[in-house]
Amino acid sequence: MVRSAVTAYASVNATTRALYSTLLTPEVRHALIQSPNFDVLLTQLDKTVYGPYLKINRELLTPRRTAFQLRLHLAHVYEKLIRITPEPGQQLLIQLWRLYEVNNLKAALRGIETGASWDEVLHLLSPMFHYIILTTDDIQRMLAAGSIVRAIERIRHTPYYDTLIHAVARYEAEKNLFPLEVALDLDYRRGLWQGIENLTGMDHEQALRLVGTEIDADNLLWAIRYRVYHHLSVQEIINYTLPFGYQVRDEDIRAIAEGGDIITVVKRVYPRIETLEDVPAQTREEISPQRRQLALIERALHRHITDLCYRTFIGNPFHIGIPLAYIMLLERELQDLTTVVEANASQLPIERLASIIDIEWW
Amino acid sequence: MFKPQSMEKVELIIPEHQVVRTTEALAASGVFHPIPSTQITVRTPARGIDEWQAWTADLVALEHRILVVMEELKISEGPPPTQTPHIIEPQVAQRDIERLELEAENPIRELEAAQRRLTQLQKYVSQLAPIADLDADLGSLRDLRYTFVMLGSMPIANVERLENSLEHTPFVLVTLRREGHLATVMLFGLQEDAAVLNRAARSAYLNPLMLPEDYRGTPAQTIAALQAGIERTQQHIAESEREIARLHKMRVRHLRHLLWRVRASRILARTINGYDHLQHTYLVTGWVPAASRAKLEQEIAKVSDKVVVETLKPRMEDIGRIPAALKNPPLVSGFQGLVTTYGQPNYDELDPTPVLALTFPLVFGIMFGDVGHGLLLLLVGLLLISRKIRPLQSVASFGMVIAACGAMAMVFGFLYGSLFGFEDVLKAVWIHPLENITDVLLFTVAVGAVLLSLGMVYSMLNAALAKHWGRLIFNRNGLAGLVFYWSILGIVVNTFGVAVPIPGSVLGILLVVSGSGLTFAEFFEHLVEKHRPLVEGSIGTYVVLAFFELFETLISLLSNTLSYVRMGAFAVAHGALSLVVFIIAEFAGGKGSIGYWIVVILGNLFVIGFEGMIVGIQTLRLEYYEFFSKFFYGGGAPFRPLSLILKSEE
Repeated sequence: MVRSAVTAYASVNATTRALYSTLLTPEVRHALIQSPNFDVLLTQLDKTVYGPYLKINRELLTPRRTAFQLRLHLAHVYEKLIRITPEPGQQLLIQLWRLYEVNNLKAALRGIETGASWDEVLHLLSPMFHYIILTTDDIQRMLAAGSIVRAIERIRHTPYYDTLIHAVARYEAEKNLFPLEVALDLDYRRGLWQGIENLTGMDHEQALRLVGTEIDADNLLWAIRYRVYHHLSVQEIINYTLPFGYQVRDEDIRAIAEGGDIITVVKRVYPRIETLEDVPAQTREEISPQRRQLALIERALHRHITDLCYRTFIGNPFHIGIPLAYIMLLERELQDLTTVVEANASQLPIERLASIIDIEWW
Repeated sequence: MFKPQSMEKVELIIPEHQVVRTTEALAASGVFHPIPSTQITVRTPARGIDEWQAWTADLVALEHRILVVMEELKISEGPPPTQTPHIIEPQVAQRDIERLELEAENPIRELEAAQRRLTQLQKYVSQLAPIADLDADLGSLRDLRYTFVMLGSMPIANVERLENSLEHTPFVLVTLRREGHLATVMLFGLQEDAAVLNRAARSAYLNPLMLPEDYRGTPAQTIAALQAGIERTQQHIAESEREIARLHKMRVRHLRHLLWRVRASRILARTINGYDHLQHTYLVTGWVPAASRAKLEQEIAKVSDKVVVETLKPRMEDIGRIPAALKNPPLVSGFQGLVTTYGQPNYDELDPTPVLALTFPLVFGIMFGDVGHGLLLLLVGLLLISRKIRPLQSVASFGMVIAACGAMAMVFGFLYGSLFGFEDVLKAVWIHPLENITDVLLFTVAVGAVLLSLGMVYSMLNAALAKHWGRLIFNRNGLAGLVFYWSILGIVVNTFGVAVPIPGSVLGILLVVSGSGLTFAEFFEHLVEKHRPLVEGSIGTYVVLAFFELFETLISLLSNTLSYVRMGAFAVAHGALSLVVFIIAEFAGGKGSIGYWIVVILGNLFVIGFEGMIVGIQTLRLEYYEFFSKFFYGGGAPFRPLSLILKSEE
């Protein structure tokens, strides 16, 4: 068993470790944040692993296009790792990769709703070339459809159709994309959970620890947001969240939904996590308490996941956890990098940026 | 035929207002290969570079809209036009496509709406089926005073979650049916909890059964009414489909024509956008086959007498970038695809297509010698060439290769006396491979030696064309290599007692002289081509390396030659495989029985398909790795004349 895992994951491990070494170092991250203007930022990025993706006419590199180009790296990494990862781990990676397809679908739906052109939507999408269900052509055809219902009809050949066509009744009644987006999110995460459940042994353990924790974080944050921002009823919050997870239990979601103390719930699941009470008083005053609370919990959960990812690289490396951990780190890097690019282009001061990204990690 | 066509670099100075017609003329000539712009761009208030860029973007979007309409009307793109379509301005195309979209919109929308309605009605029937026996009015269920009732469908994955969410509310959820990912459910509760139950049901994506006003009564009555509705909707769908079919018939030519016009215009706009632009003129450079220069000028003269065509002297940076325009007669050009799959010939390199057209069928024929099998391949090849079978049109270019291989297999079939595996029907003009294995193997080694020598001759010709005299004389694939190779062959043949017209001592001297030339090839090549230093690195290292390189040359010449033994082995295997078919056929019922002939026919088909494919692969391998590697470098630029008709590779 151990020997077969070694054979199966030898090349995955070697490839991932090589890729791991291309993650941005703290020095580079610091230099990027300190870049005085967009041109300097691009020059700094040119020297990193993202450099080859930015080798297009500089005039074309708007912040949106830059973010799109950076995501090309993620696409290549995903495709490379999916190709070399053995089954059934490969299916989990494909499902993880599908998040970007779901996001592209959402971007297309938003584009239709706002009457955006293909050119306006194109660079908001995540570039995806292989292991996909929804092609760029499908998305283009959706945009050309002119209405949400017709657009959904045009992706009849994909598994997203069943989910969306059932939810479209609510869209038509409420004239809001929310039910469509929630249906897609729930369906995606059910698939992800199924992907974890299909694994066995060390693979299952590692996937549950990493992806399961990410599902937990999403579930927890959704429940808090639905209560705090959307003021949804208990039943709605429960229906819009997931019944499974790694450490988050249904009773935790119910407790949040029923108006219980959020911090108590979060502390129960993650006793060592830093929350509002742990932050100095003067920092607490800067923003509204609810937003501050949520932002802090969000950051703490992200830190917790990042920490889990780094720790995965210690010990036995022959399991799915290695590519998963690297990909999750890269995704985080890209998320923050996109924020840095946009903040730099709009000349946002570093202090403001610090409220959006985890500057200490940077 | 043996060398790519001689090319001229030309520069065209085109007045701004004639750029469209001139570009159309350049495309119509079919001989102009444009070189990308050098970015001498000057923006002018008139139609400048930005406008062509905008044209390109607009035309891309319009092309997409046309394709959408075509797809909705089930119209395929059809074959590319034989003549370049006229250019169309985006505004004109837009008006046209808007009209077509409008025309197609109603029947398409009606069809889609009817299809949705049909699905909905079928879903109602499916939801009502489990309660078909209920003797109560459905309308009355909605208006109960104390009880909340909701009949509807929801994702199966949400059922448990909905139950969970209503933990503190009295309710009963009955799953009536599960179909695909959906469940038909009935939710019961108290009317006073209706608000909670409604919100919960909605958030669990429970879509309540909302029957239209005209469907009333008991479930059984409603189902009957729904069935009638389904029939009406199906008729409506058929009508819409007829209308779409009418539109298809009416607009198929127009839409295809418009599509190709828009595509041609898009390519034209993109091409002009790539030109160098001066204040009032466009500067265009490109390559044209010298023999077609007059044709190019003629085409341009048809549209303008103001365009200046000048010949430019190729510059240093052009070396290696001159496109190689291959020109072969139809009998040979079918093999061009096999050459370009390996590599694109360089401009100053011999085109290996003619020699491949000769050697490929020869090698295949030696391995697959059978009159019957060859005849079938010949017929298949001719069928492909005729382009009579539409689905096979895309592989028609291989027809000539298959036909030539089939013809040569027939020739060797006569030499081997083999017809559909029967070795006793035809009298062998030469030998039966299965009975003369040694002779066949020796023959194929001899053929291999001739082919390798031919490769070396080609290599020398390539070196002469490139004026690399050192390479011509001292290279392992040059004169020294050829003499070395034949000296070894002569000595080996002599050793086995076969008379050679050259005395053994002369062969020995030739071997030593050519061997020395090969050993110090680098030194001599540098000397002849005045390249310094004569020897890279230290003398000691050079001598050791030179010795090992000579040894490696010897080994590779021997292995290359022996590699051709496979031709003989396959010729023997072909006979043996046929023999196996006849043995199995004997088991199937004895000679002359139906079973016998069925096995013989199926066995022959298997031999043609399976062995034919393996022999094809082996032939390709021998050509690519043993033969081409002697002289063919590839890596050249293909000649891509400007065309406004979209090619598949674009």
